[in-house]
Amino acid sequence: MSNSNLFLKSGFVRAPLQNGVGRYVCQLQRIVLKFCKSHGGSRGLRDYIEQDLVDFASNNPSVVVYLKPRRHRSPVVVAEYLNGDRVWMSMHNKTHSEITKWIEVLRTQQGDVSATRLRKYQYTDYPSVQGPWTPFTYKDPKLNVAELPDPEFGANNRLPMSATEQLKIMFEKKQLEIKPKEE
Amino acid sequence: MSLIRTGLQRLATVFSGSNGGILSRFLTNVVPAQQQSINTQKEVIETCNRMIAQKPSRNFAIIHLLGKQWRVSDGDLLVVEGYWPPSIGDQIKLEKVLLAATKDFSLIGRPLVQPDLVTVTATVISKGLSHTRVHFKKKRRKQFMRINFQRAQQTMLRINSVEIADKINARPKNEQ
Repeated sequence: MSNSNLFLKSGFVRAPLQNGVGRYVCQLQRIVLKFCKSHGGSRGLRDYIEQDLVDFASNNPSVVVYLKPRRHRSPVVVAEYLNGDRVWMSMHNKTHSEITKWIEVLRTQQGDVSATRLRKYQYTDYPSVQGPWTPFTYKDPKLNVAELPDPEFGANNRLPMSATEQLKIMFEKKQLEIKPKEE
Repeated sequence: MSLIRTGLQRLATVFSGSNGGILSRFLTNVVPAQQQSINTQKEVIETCNRMIAQKPSRNFAIIHLLGKQWRVSDGDLLVVEGYWPPSIGDQIKLEKVLLAATKDFSLIGRPLVQPDLVTVTATVISKGLSHTRVHFKKKRRKQFMRINFQRAQQTMLRINSVEIADKINARPKNEQ
């Protein structure tokens, strides 16, 4: 199953309203906990409400928390974000610790992040500072006015040093050593 | 055959250029060349320091973060995958700088640029989960098929600033 066959939105990395440039704003605005007071499926969510919800609300004064008891229906958490996203999550038969973790995820993410497949993991307004590389980037500007074919630019100097060349250099080295003695 | 010919041609150009050949030229020029290179080194560093003080252009840096290398500049967004403790709203300083550069010059670390020369600060914007990835395995004619689903933790970072202090080659404080 490839990405082209999945019915999944794809997108690029974005942050709403230049978030984090000057200051950071928590993107979660409202969270609604729906649960039943008597059913066993809501047990974990009820535990969470009893033990952790007050701490959550006091630690996050920018988040509006609603509780919605409803008879004989399964528990649900709905989170709404500053960019208009709404994330619905069933909490049926989830334990207290699982719910704590999921609500932490809902609090820290910046919208319905997992609904899109990221195509790139980086975003920049300035893809190149020093200029994009071209084949002529670090070349001698003499090439611009040269008339081709030119023996200087056409020379094949990409070969490694051959044995003959090495021998010649060794010979020359010897010569240099001998010369001063003669003089 | 053509290879040999080109090789000989090159030899001819190399050795016909001067009287004593390349080696002798090299040997006679050793001492003044070193002096010159030290002077140019100092000049280059001074020019770079002056340029940094003037702040003529935007900086960028290559940082090492969770096993990956990222090219960052002011205002960039990064998405880092996997477990990572920093929480939303945290301001962090990314200290593994492999390279820092402006438009006109680059400072290349060996492997890291000297500490305190470059400061890269970032804010954690969002921590969520990736989309559901399908991990599907099948072996033909072997009655083997597995399907797994996984979601990775993703942390989004905003790069606030990439700054180069104007003290290239300055001695660290504890050495003075």
